[in-house]
Amino acid sequence: MVARRLAEAIRLGLLLDGERLPTESRLAAQLGVSIVTARDALATLRGMGLVETKRGRSGGSFVRSPGGSHSARLHAPLLRLSLHDVRDMGDHRAAIAGAAAMLAADRALEEDIGGLREHLERLRAAEGLTQRRRADARLHIEIAAAAQSPRLTREEISLWSQIGDLLWLPLSRAQREVIAAVIAEHGELIDAIADEDGERARDLASRHVNDETERLVNYRLRLGES
Amino acid sequence: MTSAAQSGREREIRLLAELSEAVGEVFASVEGLRSAALEIARRVRPSGRQLRRSDLLELRGDVAQALARHAGFVAGAGVVLAPDALADAQLWIEWHWLNARSVPERLVVDLDPDSAEFYDYTTTEWYREPERTGEPHIAGPYVDYICTHEYTFTLSAPLIDDGRFLGIAGADVLASEVERLAVPSLARLPTVAAITSGNGRVISSNSPRLMPGMVLKPGRAQAAMRPVVTADDLPWRSRLPWVLLVQTA
Repeated sequence: MVARRLAEAIRLGLLLDGERLPTESRLAAQLGVSIVTARDALATLRGMGLVETKRGRSGGSFVRSPGGSHSARLHAPLLRLSLHDVRDMGDHRAAIAGAAAMLAADRALEEDIGGLREHLERLRAAEGLTQRRRADARLHIEIAAAAQSPRLTREEISLWSQIGDLLWLPLSRAQREVIAAVIAEHGELIDAIADEDGERARDLASRHVNDETERLVNYRLRLGES
Repeated sequence: MTSAAQSGREREIRLLAELSEAVGEVFASVEGLRSAALEIARRVRPSGRQLRRSDLLELRGDVAQALARHAGFVAGAGVVLAPDALADAQLWIEWHWLNARSVPERLVVDLDPDSAEFYDYTTTEWYREPERTGEPHIAGPYVDYICTHEYTFTLSAPLIDDGRFLGIAGADVLASEVERLAVPSLARLPTVAAITSGNGRVISSNSPRLMPGMVLKPGRAQAAMRPVVTADDLPWRSRLPWVLLVQTA
């Protein structure tokens, strides 16, 4: 939560590139959280490449605002993840997305399905990495919400804030047909939920996440070579 | 009708009536916020200038009062503006919630359409329905992943100034608080019973087979339930389209 608020502030330009962040204890006091929470938030932001910590006398935590090529900026955080990390997050996401899809098939109302289809249209209309990532995240979070589970929804939000920026990276130079096919997987998933076919919905959701993980692993491997 | 059956019927009506009344009281506060917001709009209109974010600051007192009036029941309240209703923000939320220390705190969401975390509220039921119908509306229960992060109802009323839709005034009620009110009387009923929202979603029940969030759909085993009390059976006009159902004998 704290990390998300700070990440938002950086993305919105409220915290400027190169700006020094307060010390952990002062940050904790300003945000009304414990020092441990503030420390965790800074670690998360370091993982996202939004904060850089330098040691020494002129050290401290500095804001690294999203400048330059967006995809190039994402390479650093991806390279910091081990393949095992990527796989483990993929497993976690597959479990959450699968369970959410299965429950949504049981509990979604017609108007929820209508909402999911609107979010799918937004994903279709999205251009570029940031827009697609946003529409994709919203759609998956809405599926968890359609499952009527605040806990699964919170898990989806947290997973997307940790790894979401990276998920569309392997497709940043993909052909339109490839992107259309990935988006179409969401359409099939929504159809399964609308058909109240929980098992199919769960399988489609976890397969979708596993494919995504595989693409990210491949991309990470090629990045490691260069 | 035997007198036993009659008193059973009275008890069922009283159950939905008491619950609808308790939740319906929040509508009065939402109406209060709506009047306060429209009063600001009316005051600004003759000057010919458009509303600004700073005009809404005086609503904070009204919101804090509403939160205090329903302390422990209403989780958040405020106004949410229509696109371009304000001169200095395309989208704007003036919404406050009680934090862990019970102090009102302004809800901060990312309203920059270019941001990855952008929150487009214009697609939500609590925003759209009052806009579409011009009437107050209760949305939910639904998973509110923006403000309360819990299973929630949102009560909202449209802000219409001089024929123009400016947004909504609203308040959030946690589903767990509604359940706290409903369960004791449901548990005293002699049969399996549930209260659902107008679209058939279980709000509360006295059976493990009918858990909150489930949907009563025809053709399902759990759906051997028949509606016994609806909003139309209540002695006053209720804005909550809720239904009490009991198991078919």
